[in-house]
Amino acid sequence: MNKLKKKSKRADSSVAPNQLKLLPGHIIVGLWVLFTIVMLVWITGASLSTSPEIMRGQVFKFESGLHFENYARAWKANSISTYFMNSLLYATCTMVGTVLVSAPAAYVLARNVFKGNAPIKTGLVAAMSIPQIMIVLPLFSMAVHMGVSSSKIVLILLYIGMQVPYTTTFLITFFSQLSHVYEEAAAIDGCSPMKTFWVIMLPLAQPGIVTVSIFIFMGIWNEYFMSLIFAASERNMSVGPGLKSILTAMQYTGDWGGLFAAVVIVFLPTLLLFLALSKTIISGITNGGVKG
Amino acid sequence: MKQDKKMIVCFLTPALIFFFGIFVYPICRTLVMSFFKVEAISDPASLWKFVGISNYVTLANTTIFRVAMLNMMKIWLFGGIAVLAIALLFAVILTSGVRFKSFYRAVVYIPNIINAVAISTMWINYIYNKRFGLLHTVFKAIGADKLAKLDYMNGDIKFVTLLIAFCFGSVGYYMLIFMSGIEQLPQDIYEAATIDGANKVKQFSMITLPLLRNVFKTCLTFWSIGVVGFFVWSQMWSAPLASESSTITPFIYMYNLAFGTTGNSARDGGMAAAVGVVMTIVVLLAFLLINVGIKNDDYEL
Repeated sequence: MNKLKKKSKRADSSVAPNQLKLLPGHIIVGLWVLFTIVMLVWITGASLSTSPEIMRGQVFKFESGLHFENYARAWKANSISTYFMNSLLYATCTMVGTVLVSAPAAYVLARNVFKGNAPIKTGLVAAMSIPQIMIVLPLFSMAVHMGVSSSKIVLILLYIGMQVPYTTTFLITFFSQLSHVYEEAAAIDGCSPMKTFWVIMLPLAQPGIVTVSIFIFMGIWNEYFMSLIFAASERNMSVGPGLKSILTAMQYTGDWGGLFAAVVIVFLPTLLLFLALSKTIISGITNGGVKG
Repeated sequence: MKQDKKMIVCFLTPALIFFFGIFVYPICRTLVMSFFKVEAISDPASLWKFVGISNYVTLANTTIFRVAMLNMMKIWLFGGIAVLAIALLFAVILTSGVRFKSFYRAVVYIPNIINAVAISTMWINYIYNKRFGLLHTVFKAIGADKLAKLDYMNGDIKFVTLLIAFCFGSVGYYMLIFMSGIEQLPQDIYEAATIDGANKVKQFSMITLPLLRNVFKTCLTFWSIGVVGFFVWSQMWSAPLASESSTITPFIYMYNLAFGTTGNSARDGGMAAAVGVVMTIVVLLAFLLINVGIKNDDYEL
């Protein structure tokens, strides 16, 4: 990882920093970036306007002031609060659960030589490419037979299971980069291998665990399909299908301000998380390879 | 040694239980189910009737499924070309020493971290809105009345608008992969090429592109997996009607078969399973083609 950083720095400095020559590049990427920002800013502006103002295309005049009550309405009346809390619960529990399941497995797979090690690793990689439609039917049928086809715990367990292959593979790379010295020292001090893992190795892997946890959180927050099937009732719905149901209802109520406020509420958590941790996230994607 | 064994078992078992419960068992069951006539997907196996490959035959003769496959191929091909080309272009620009590199990089990536429902709501209700949308406003301002009056959410153009919105959001991720690929290339090759008199364009086509072969392979693989999972965007674009041929994909078709649509209670679990198997085969074929088509490079970097 450090090697990579050094290389990229060298790449930066070896090119003449003549920005004028790079103007076409600035224009191309700049326009794209401008478009993205206009979109986000307009939505935020619209979320603070009234429906007639949005209709007239006068989102930024705020003639009748800033309408923060749009947010209050979206939060309460449109029950975004329920979806928000559900997604928060799903994302947090999946994050913790997956790390607790995957980290020990990844450690053993990275450190111990045993029969079945390589096949398990291959299996995990293969599982990442299986389309969801291949596994969802039996899972739904199982849930129905257990009488839990719409329950928060089942959805969380499914999420954990679906995150295990990626998380484990990601953490295997991380653990295999750690030096063996720590375990040897711990063994000499009489620390059992399992205790060594929890007390010494897991904290050492913290950077990797933090990165992968952010990915899991964002992935679950933005997940749509599983939540649509396994959390169909309004009580269990997550933000994705929830926002869609608000959108459908909006066609009858015409509450544009409330709709855009709901959109902002849904994208704000991941956006803030990204803005705060963009360095970690981006280096995690480029070094760890997979997943967006 | 004994302690090691105990640790392997204790640490591996939970992950393996999840792996078998969520992947291995369901994959096998879906495969078996695709050869049976199954009405509701929750029917116990005792109610299944063996029908051989008839589900697959029916599927091949179903017009709507063929349309769905064709839509998916179009997304894969046209979207793939557009996304990978733009992502590569952006990656080259951002690694050429421009200022504000991390700012650009972060903003281009932002659509990837926003909930797909939220981002498609922005596209549908802002960019493409025919009354106050961005395209409408821009076209009106430059006097292109015909374009300003266009309804982007109806007719043939719907597929195009869907594809554009989807591709827009995908570029950032592939750009990051290309950027890290380019940054890992050794600089001395470029220095040597410059001394030999190769210009930037030649350097790009003769050095950068061939050396990025493995990165291309990674990108194509992820793109293929992503396109097979194309679901939420399609659902957003066909919001009022449950399934429209202009934006339907195999994933949507399977969902309708398995879980029914509003106003249509006909379900067919066996067929739905067959769709799942076909899509898995499509992914495997894509892997095979990508691996045969793009040989591993043997350069030691």
